[in-house]
Amino acid sequence: MSASARIGKGYVVASTFISAAVIVVITGFLVINSWDAIRQSGLELFTSEWNPPKQKFGILAMVYGSVVVTVISLALALPLGLATAIFTSEMLPARFRLYVKSLLELLAGIPSIIYGLIGIVFLSTWVEHAFDLQSGRTVLTGGLLLAVMVLPTIITLWDDALHNVPRKYRETARGLGLYNFEVIRDAVLPLARTDVIGAALLGLGRVLGETMAVMLVIGSIDKIPGSVFNVLVPGQTMTSKLGREIAETAVGSLHFSAMIFMGLILLLFVLSLTIVALTYFYNPEQRLYE
Amino acid sequence: MPLWIRVFSALLFVSLQFGCSRTDSIQIAGSTTVLPVVSRAAEQFRMKHPNLNVIVNAGGSGVGINQLGEGKVDIGMASRDITDVEIQKHPGVEFVTYTIGRDAVVAVVSSEVFDAGVQALSFQQIGQIYQGKITNWRELGGPVKDILVVDKERSRGTRHVFMKLVLGNKEADAPGADLVLGSNNEEQTAISQSDAAIGMLSHAWLNAEVKGLAIVLDDGAVVEPTLTSIVDGTFPISRDLFLLTNSEPSGMTRSFLDFIMSPEGQKIVEESGYVRIR
Repeated sequence: MSASARIGKGYVVASTFISAAVIVVITGFLVINSWDAIRQSGLELFTSEWNPPKQKFGILAMVYGSVVVTVISLALALPLGLATAIFTSEMLPARFRLYVKSLLELLAGIPSIIYGLIGIVFLSTWVEHAFDLQSGRTVLTGGLLLAVMVLPTIITLWDDALHNVPRKYRETARGLGLYNFEVIRDAVLPLARTDVIGAALLGLGRVLGETMAVMLVIGSIDKIPGSVFNVLVPGQTMTSKLGREIAETAVGSLHFSAMIFMGLILLLFVLSLTIVALTYFYNPEQRLYE
Repeated sequence: MPLWIRVFSALLFVSLQFGCSRTDSIQIAGSTTVLPVVSRAAEQFRMKHPNLNVIVNAGGSGVGINQLGEGKVDIGMASRDITDVEIQKHPGVEFVTYTIGRDAVVAVVSSEVFDAGVQALSFQQIGQIYQGKITNWRELGGPVKDILVVDKERSRGTRHVFMKLVLGNKEADAPGADLVLGSNNEEQTAISQSDAAIGMLSHAWLNAEVKGLAIVLDDGAVVEPTLTSIVDGTFPISRDLFLLTNSEPSGMTRSFLDFIMSPEGQKIVEESGYVRIR
């Protein structure tokens, strides 16, 4: 093997190991630094009272907020995204598809602080007026904003997923006399399933991890509303809590440790959802094309 | 090894050297109340010292004190005293405090509420709002509207000073709060967007949409939040604005502090809406 090929190979292998090592290091960092909180507060971490001066660190309100915001945004973004991806991939003439896709990718690249500011100025006032609320900074606003933010990513990935299904399957399906919508429903979508799940998981990760935009519109109060289905009240997600408070905690204090514990829970959320999705929906043998 | 890799690594090495070598810079972070003064002062200071970098970040008093304690900044900005807990957290740090100006914390309401007649409240009334015992402006002679109670993050200087007087404890709980926000800027936006909000702001952040309430004292006297009443000390919620360093500063940090204390620097304090102390 020539020298440059060796260097190239070394570079590729090293990069892979570095990426893997980063995940291990982050997990290790989170576990080690949250250990104080786990040891000292134990199950109290899963109560809903967060009060640093009294050394109470219950993260339940934040966990609740994250779950609800995620459910709202995915419930909106996934169906819309799927419909749009079917349109751009299956119905739109090829030359328009490229324009639409580049616009979508542009949208996906807008920094989240911009979405956050738009959220404060427009979205939260719309929510306020639409539901005649005291304040438009609610859990629902957070969910809506995240749905808007995650849509471009999901659409463009799903569009790729559907577009990658080879023509021959569509032609065969049509040859069997299926209508267009049946071709999409019974041939294209099932074949693209693996990629579709992967894209949805990426979207989920973005929604759970988004900090800045959510922090600005959600109202940041650590409360679980009287009815857990009431999303028209202010709330707090794990990320917005971290964003607001992490800088003012001293490294090594119980407060800091409890914040890191919240980060660990967030990571476990993403990991477990990924594992569940991969176990139940991912079947490499089902893949008929590359 | 191909030439380009050698050139690339040489460049990388050189740039790392530059990145690590400490050019002259002053790092400052903390209170958003002190921020306007310091960022303006930094601008003027840099005109005099073009090779110097002054980096000013927000975050709140808690962040300012904490980052100074951890050695991440040279100067911390604070609009409240350091708490005992904070001193204990950073045993190796000798906090030195410079008072650069005075400010008042004002209970503020949306202009709609102010115009409807709620223009002065007592500490007890404000306290009851934050405790959730008064929930409608009607109870205070205002419009029939639920009060949107805007609270601040716990470590914020403005909150410490405000809560100490209103509820008697600088870290008091506020069960009546509807929103918890951070900087003066964010709070100002929320209150001006609403038509029924109450909040707490530094005096310099009042505007046409966000009106300051006068305070009804125990003896019945009413004090309005004006520069005069802050200067002569009759407005009851006033506070000092601080810059903090770890032990006696030297070099550029020293000159920057001297600049803020100079007549020129004090003029900036005044222009930012605060009271000069020299």
